[in-house]
Amino acid sequence: MENERFEEMEHTADIAIRVWGSTLAELFANAAYGMACQLTDIRDVEVTITREIALQADDVEMLLVEWLGELLFLGEQENAAFVEFTMEQVTPHALRAVARGGRITEHQGHIKAVTFSELDVERTDDGYETALVFDV
Amino acid sequence: MATKQDFQRIDKYTWELPKDHREDMRVPVRLYANSELFEAAFGDRTIEQLINTSTLPGIVKYAMALPDMHQGYGFPIGGVAGIDARSGVISPGGVGYDINCGVRLLASNLDREEIEPYRDDLMNALNQSCPSGLGGDGRVRVNEKELEQLLSEGASWAQKQGLARPEDVEHTEEHGSLPGADPTTVSRRAKQRGLSQVGSLGSGNHFVELDIVHDVYEPEAADAFGLREGQIVVQIHCGSRGFGHQVCDDYVKSLQSAVQKYDIHLPNRQLVCAPIDSPEGKNYYGAMACAVNYAFVNRQVLSMGAREAFERVLAGKVRDFDLRLVYDVAHNIAKFEDHQVNGERIRLCIHRKGATRCFPPGHDAVPAAYRKVGQPVLVPGSMGTSSYVLAGQQRAMDLTFGSTCHGAGRTMSRTAARKKVWGHDLREELERRGIAVRASSMKGFAEEAPLAYKDVSSVVETVHGLGIAAKVARLEPLGVIKG
Repeated sequence: MENERFEEMEHTADIAIRVWGSTLAELFANAAYGMACQLTDIRDVEVTITREIALQADDVEMLLVEWLGELLFLGEQENAAFVEFTMEQVTPHALRAVARGGRITEHQGHIKAVTFSELDVERTDDGYETALVFDV
Repeated sequence: MATKQDFQRIDKYTWELPKDHREDMRVPVRLYANSELFEAAFGDRTIEQLINTSTLPGIVKYAMALPDMHQGYGFPIGGVAGIDARSGVISPGGVGYDINCGVRLLASNLDREEIEPYRDDLMNALNQSCPSGLGGDGRVRVNEKELEQLLSEGASWAQKQGLARPEDVEHTEEHGSLPGADPTTVSRRAKQRGLSQVGSLGSGNHFVELDIVHDVYEPEAADAFGLREGQIVVQIHCGSRGFGHQVCDDYVKSLQSAVQKYDIHLPNRQLVCAPIDSPEGKNYYGAMACAVNYAFVNRQVLSMGAREAFERVLAGKVRDFDLRLVYDVAHNIAKFEDHQVNGERIRLCIHRKGATRCFPPGHDAVPAAYRKVGQPVLVPGSMGTSSYVLAGQQRAMDLTFGSTCHGAGRTMSRTAARKKVWGHDLREELERRGIAVRASSMKGFAEEAPLAYKDVSSVVETVHGLGIAAKVARLEPLGVIKG
């Protein structure tokens, strides 16, 4: 069930979701999954593309913005959405991951960018949690 | 959290939150709104975001929001800030991701009866000639060298390429070219995204609309703008596409370290900024100006598409199928302007995020043809509703750094709109009202449903009543191509 990995939040102009994960790796994978669900009906995505991604950043919020931004950029280049993620390493300052996805046959929405608005990766009793606001 | 009681009502349309409301505020916050729109501002985070804006170093007079205000990120949408160019900061969060998202109005010499038999063909032709939706390339593909020239020169590059007439350039804000554009400050990735999208609408709230001038309120100004009742006109609303999004994204990230370096304290990371005079601030300005120019060219190239569509369908069938550019205005921009502050004329970096410049009669920056009546301001309504043409007034220089509203302003989230409206039902309703529809995505179409927006007429009545921009004409849609 997709609802267990993220939930949509109200935002007047843009798209906002809340995501969580028991580890940072799971938080990052769920955030990417939640973002893909805004772009298309992911059940229609046939996995044909694999991309290896390695990133570094000053802090965990910046790393999350970089990660999602990278997926958006790669997706835009190939008219694709990434829906499966193997997070090989995620620390607050670096990640290595493999993202898999495929062509979008029917667009449901467009995300211009991942913003820092309301972004705050918090430790909770169950792991990590944050809001994400996408500019659309 | 600020409440309604914390605001002082200055006059019918002006509400002020004093500077002492929060310790980090540098100037008071002002909302320009009628009672109803003032109440509505408390429905989301608009006011919190405006209070945050009032903390930016160098901000003068007020952090202000126009009546179409709503929650954004960093600045609220409908927000205006004037920041002292000598001592203040420039913020990508005060411009937004769609740098120089804006609108232009093209006027025909045609009446409704002349196009009515061909309206469907015209809509199809406009849809073909103005590429929209996602993944779609623009009308023009440029190489890297051409892109750099386009970024440096804006509309005058388009003119050299035969993509703009001299009067198109004359009737674009800043003549379609913001000074100081520096392609060396733009990332490779932004350039890569920019190569293929020149002359494309994109998605979201972007559109091409076929309209009829329904009412004229100020005959003298309408006459100067070349508008009359019953006339067919075209509006184009879009911005700098992936290029501008990437420029903003790059600098929101890279300026995070500048905030630390210059010891700036911000209540929200999306308000990230750098001193205007610092290398970081100058680099952002140089890159942002490139995106501004990209957007001016984008709308210009789409105008040529609209002209081509009119010619293809109407040549030999009507006496005159030409489209003349009335004006082109930016909605998301930061630029240097001189304004009067406490009796002194100073250079400010005016951030307009979801706001339109509206210079008054007599101002040098207003094209000669319009100088007697004031700068044309184009305020598109939500899909299927009226749009307005206004003229800038002197009071805007006193109150809002020569700025006014940019649209209706959202009031409902996209998810809520989708829950209430089915794209197909909305399409049927618009078509029943005689509005032809072409849309690239039914989901995106539903998100732009009129019920998700404020009443544009109420927004326009406010700026008219406030005296910052005068109502000149109202446009009613006949057909909409939704990106």
